[in-house]
Amino acid sequence: MESERKNGVEGKGIMGSNSKSFGVCDLLLRVLALLLTLVATIVLGVDKQTTVVPVKLVDTLPAVNVAVTAKWHYLSAFVYMVVANAIACAYAALSLLLTLANRGKSKGLGTMIIILDALMVALLFSGNGAATAVGLLGYQGNSHVRWNKVCNVFDKFCNQVAAAIVVSLVGSAAFLLLVLVPVLKIHRQIN
Amino acid sequence: MASTDKPADPEYRSSSSSPAPVDYFKFDVILRFLLFAASVVAIVVMVTSEQTETILFNGFPLRRPAKFRYSPAFIYFVVAFSVSGLYSLISALASISVIKKPDLKLKFLLHFLFWDALVLGIIATATGAAGGVAYIGLKGNDHVGWQKVCKVYDKYCRHIAGSLAVALFGSVVAVLLIWLSAYSVHSRVPK
Repeated sequence: MESERKNGVEGKGIMGSNSKSFGVCDLLLRVLALLLTLVATIVLGVDKQTTVVPVKLVDTLPAVNVAVTAKWHYLSAFVYMVVANAIACAYAALSLLLTLANRGKSKGLGTMIIILDALMVALLFSGNGAATAVGLLGYQGNSHVRWNKVCNVFDKFCNQVAAAIVVSLVGSAAFLLLVLVPVLKIHRQIN
Repeated sequence: MASTDKPADPEYRSSSSSPAPVDYFKFDVILRFLLFAASVVAIVVMVTSEQTETILFNGFPLRRPAKFRYSPAFIYFVVAFSVSGLYSLISALASISVIKKPDLKLKFLLHFLFWDALVLGIIATATGAAGGVAYIGLKGNDHVGWQKVCKVYDKYCRHIAGSLAVALFGSVVAVLLIWLSAYSVHSRVPK
């Protein structure tokens, strides 16, 4: 009984001391994550470039100019990253609404949101990893398997991919912080 | 720590005396050892993937090896899973040592949650990066003229695929670890 009563008092103390700062920090991070994943999805999703490259078909004839196009959905890793960012963006919007509606009343919902946040961290980070690895291949090529670099031809395309990856990385860092900040808050309270 | 801060104490006592907060430390230890095993298997299978094949290059037969360290994505993969293997071993031992000490459980859970989230980020990126490159190796990409290599290096590709499957399993285990820790923390902290 004694411990239960104390427990209740302690619980109220924790609520009172942190509900405001916790809520604001959480909401800000969520809005940030929403915006960043949205920007990353759009930047990579509209990525397209057509350039003219000279191709020599026969050695004796002068080079023929051929228009080649690079689109984001030509590489499956970029498709994966766009889909991952779109899912994370939709989830961020949904969880923002749920957090606003909930306001720390229901404990089960808070746990649910943290659990889904962790899932989004895994999804976003794997998407970023895939896009970064393939982007690096496009930037440097791989001489061992004779995959030529393509970024010397499609410079604007590659810059846009790089921008999308950086934005998406910051967005995934925001999701990671969404998991870590409550942990740090509780840690500070019990110390 | 129990002596330094009195206010947080009742929480522990109530959690150790009352049956309400469920204890998942046994599952925690099992999952950590699974993560360790998955990391070790993924590294070993990846590092042993070496194959030398004779290929025709401009009409001349050449013996060309395929090694994992020819691709930066695979190097990153090995480094990341070395980190996760080391971390999971240390944290598994810590988790075993804390089973008998209920006073320290919440503190350890918070530390675990923090580092688990970071390790999940690392290995999710590594799995994504290696998966993205391996997919291009398997399917090739006509748009940028990257030809598939798995037709030639079949054994090499099987090693990579096996390693990736184990790595994916490891990432799922890391997500489960976070879920478990988050759930235990939330069942311990009154909100």
